[in-house]
Amino acid sequence: MKGSICIIDDDKIYQMIIKKIIERTVAFDNVKFYDDAIYALEDFKDHSIHLPKLILLDINMPQMDGWQFLDSLIKHRPNFHEHTTIYIVTSSIAHSDREKAKSYSQVSGFLSKPISVEKLTEISVKHR
Amino acid sequence: MTRKKVSISYKNQLFSRPILAGILSFTFLFLLGFYLLYQRYQIIRESEEREMVSVMDLVEKNLNNSLKDSYSVALSMGLLVDDNGNIKDFEKYAPILLEQYPVIDVLQMVPKGVIQKVYPLEGNEEVIGYDILNDPKTRTEAIRAIDAGKMYFAGPFDLKQGGTAVVGRLPVYKNNEFWGFSAIIIKLESLLEQAGLKKLAGDKYLFQFSKIDAITNKERFFLENDLDIEYNVVETIILPDGDWKFYIALKNPKASFNELIPLTFFILLIAGWLAWMVTILFKQPARLQKLVNAQAGELANSELKFRTIFNQAAIGMVRVETATGRFLETNQRFRELSGYSNEELSKLSFRELSIPSEVDINRKLMQELLNGIRREYSLEKRLIQKNGNILWIKLSVSPLWKKGTTGTTHISIIEDITERVLAQEQLAQKEKRYRALVENGAEVLTIFSREGKTIYCSPSSEKLSGYSEAEIKSINLGSLVHPDDTEVFQKQILTAIQKPMMPIQGDPVRLINKSGQWRWAESTITSLLEDPAINGIVGNFRDISEKREAEINLNKSYHTVMEQNRRLLNFSYIVSHNLRSHSSNIQSILNLYVTTNVDEEKSDYIELLFKVGKALNLTLDDLNEVVSIRTNLDLKVEPLKVSTFLDKTIDLLEVQIKNKDAVIVKDVPDEMIVDFNPAYLESVLLNFLSNALRYREPERSLEINVKGVKRSGVWVLLIKDNGIGIDMDRHGDKLFGLYKTFTTTPNSRGVGLFITKNQINAMGGEVAVESEVGVGTTFKIFFK
Repeated sequence: MKGSICIIDDDKIYQMIIKKIIERTVAFDNVKFYDDAIYALEDFKDHSIHLPKLILLDINMPQMDGWQFLDSLIKHRPNFHEHTTIYIVTSSIAHSDREKAKSYSQVSGFLSKPISVEKLTEISVKHR
Repeated sequence: MTRKKVSISYKNQLFSRPILAGILSFTFLFLLGFYLLYQRYQIIRESEEREMVSVMDLVEKNLNNSLKDSYSVALSMGLLVDDNGNIKDFEKYAPILLEQYPVIDVLQMVPKGVIQKVYPLEGNEEVIGYDILNDPKTRTEAIRAIDAGKMYFAGPFDLKQGGTAVVGRLPVYKNNEFWGFSAIIIKLESLLEQAGLKKLAGDKYLFQFSKIDAITNKERFFLENDLDIEYNVVETIILPDGDWKFYIALKNPKASFNELIPLTFFILLIAGWLAWMVTILFKQPARLQKLVNAQAGELANSELKFRTIFNQAAIGMVRVETATGRFLETNQRFRELSGYSNEELSKLSFRELSIPSEVDINRKLMQELLNGIRREYSLEKRLIQKNGNILWIKLSVSPLWKKGTTGTTHISIIEDITERVLAQEQLAQKEKRYRALVENGAEVLTIFSREGKTIYCSPSSEKLSGYSEAEIKSINLGSLVHPDDTEVFQKQILTAIQKPMMPIQGDPVRLINKSGQWRWAESTITSLLEDPAINGIVGNFRDISEKREAEINLNKSYHTVMEQNRRLLNFSYIVSHNLRSHSSNIQSILNLYVTTNVDEEKSDYIELLFKVGKALNLTLDDLNEVVSIRTNLDLKVEPLKVSTFLDKTIDLLEVQIKNKDAVIVKDVPDEMIVDFNPAYLESVLLNFLSNALRYREPERSLEINVKGVKRSGVWVLLIKDNGIGIDMDRHGDKLFGLYKTFTTTPNSRGVGLFITKNQINAMGGEVAVESEVGVGTTFKIFFK
């Protein structure tokens, strides 16, 4: 059974690229994109909605950044990580961001862009 | 020789009994005094008696006059009886007579002893028809008048109509036959007044008036007073016309005696005092003799004591021959001080033990002693010991000759004060050193009172404060402290007062100098209020303005550097992030490109690459703009009228304003002129206004308020809109950050506010924001 995946990133070009990469992995049958974390949160706050199996979260977004999104989600659905895996995917290579990502037990990893088909496949296998 | 001795022994007999001599003199003086007193008393008594006799003479004369007057009246009335024995014209003449002789009170005609006529009749009606010859009370005296054949005064009686009166009856004969009486009545009161008794009596005499009662033959007294006839009467008059007696006596017979009492006491006192003096005088020789004996004993005793003191004293003593300065006698201590033996000293004089330069002053003082200008002197000088060492001594010289006589020898007392002098010298040296330190130091040393009044300030204070010492003393120290530092400074002083003697180091404070400059000073305050020698607070001030200035500048630079560093970090982060996002996209696209065989897909990737290239270009443009602000350090700054620039910006945005139906309310005064770079000001205004236009609330028409106000000396421009607002809780901290956008509005790239803020900061200004979602946003630009 293929999993569902959600991309939260404001970079349109990246969205197109990751779409292609996801297609190549053949591991996901449900792909959802959000331009800003604030829209994702709006949906995920609703408990009737099933969270996707994997979330690739960007940090820098106009209205709500990745961290704010994480904090809010933890508040609204404290146990979400039991069903959902979150990876931070960012072009930032700042050490501080990496450290911060580590401080969240709900975050499974920190990935610097660009992300390859192999990497994504590996993640999908790991969290099947 | 023998005679003299006898006379002495005789004298001694009397002198040895001083009390007897006293008693004798007292008795003698007392008797003499009393004899003189007695004489004086007699004289007083005689003069009093003489005075009373003359008073009585006067009284007698006055009474006789009254009686004579009465006689004339009675006689005149007798003439009113005609040959037939009838009374004529009584009513006519009676008033006239009474008017002439006011002493007479009533007139009566008494034919055959029966009262027939009375004047005045009023009040006397009862007596008409009264037969005086038949009444035993009046008969005797009436008969006595007839017998005497002349006026006889009867009474005094108590009148029927009240009062006491005397009646003078004159027997009237007609044709050698007794007709009756003409009678006059004088009230006793009137009679005595006529006699002048009251006037004469005054408060010195007492009078009494008496008559032998015709019936009882007893003397009756008519005046009410306490005159005792038996003892006090001094003079009497006997008036035969009525057998009356007048007495006079002294009212206060003891007065003259009393007058002498003080004199008596005086005499007693004088006698007593003289007797005492005599006693004392006689005692004197014996006392003197006793004193002489006692002193002779004492003298011998003190000579012994003096010897002992001289020899055993802990200070040096010498007896010196004044003329030569030779030592006559020296004591043990002096020999120790000088190091010479008694024999050696007897061949030496003071001069040989003195330093030549000190000889003159000693000689001068000695000369004054000899001339009697002074009776003693003391001098601090040096003494050369036998071994050549020098001692400091205090030399005190007292002459042994009497004032006014020629100098013979004198006593010199020598104290070793070497230690004291050396200590003093050291102290002076120390003091000099301290003064030099205090006066030439770069520090200001002050002593001030609890109230801040300067008691002392070191000379260096003028150099550092510009105020003279007098000026500083007239200024309260607290008034020199910068208002912002007052609290710190007062706290320091309070701490110092609470911890006496403990130097309290405070934070640097600003003090104003005379030319009005604030100088930074570091101070150490020590409270010596409890030290009576100082009784003040010691303040030690150091001018650290240069150091402080450098410190402040350093701090400022540090902050600037830190800020720049922070911004740089932020910038580099953004740069890396933005550039990396493009590069990673390119990498990904290329990866996908090489791993596909589908041509269609490949052309998609090329298209994507174009997009990435465009975005990268845009990013680079933005970064270029940002970098240009940051590197542009030598910008032209000039005074700019904000109002003009605002108008220009509104013109520029005219089309957009019109399209969006916005209202711009402008309230910027003409005098609002700020120092700014023109291009920056244009950019700043354009940015804020276009932001307001872009983020308007679609539900309502946009209104932008631009207002210029001056707040605490700086110009502030407020740009207020009623747009969508910004969630300050969420975005407040990164509002002005680079690539921070808060809306999904197209074209918001997160560069405008970042650049605007940097431009304002570059001009030394600040920007702040207040906003509420759904209400609007206000940007505030604080100009430098």
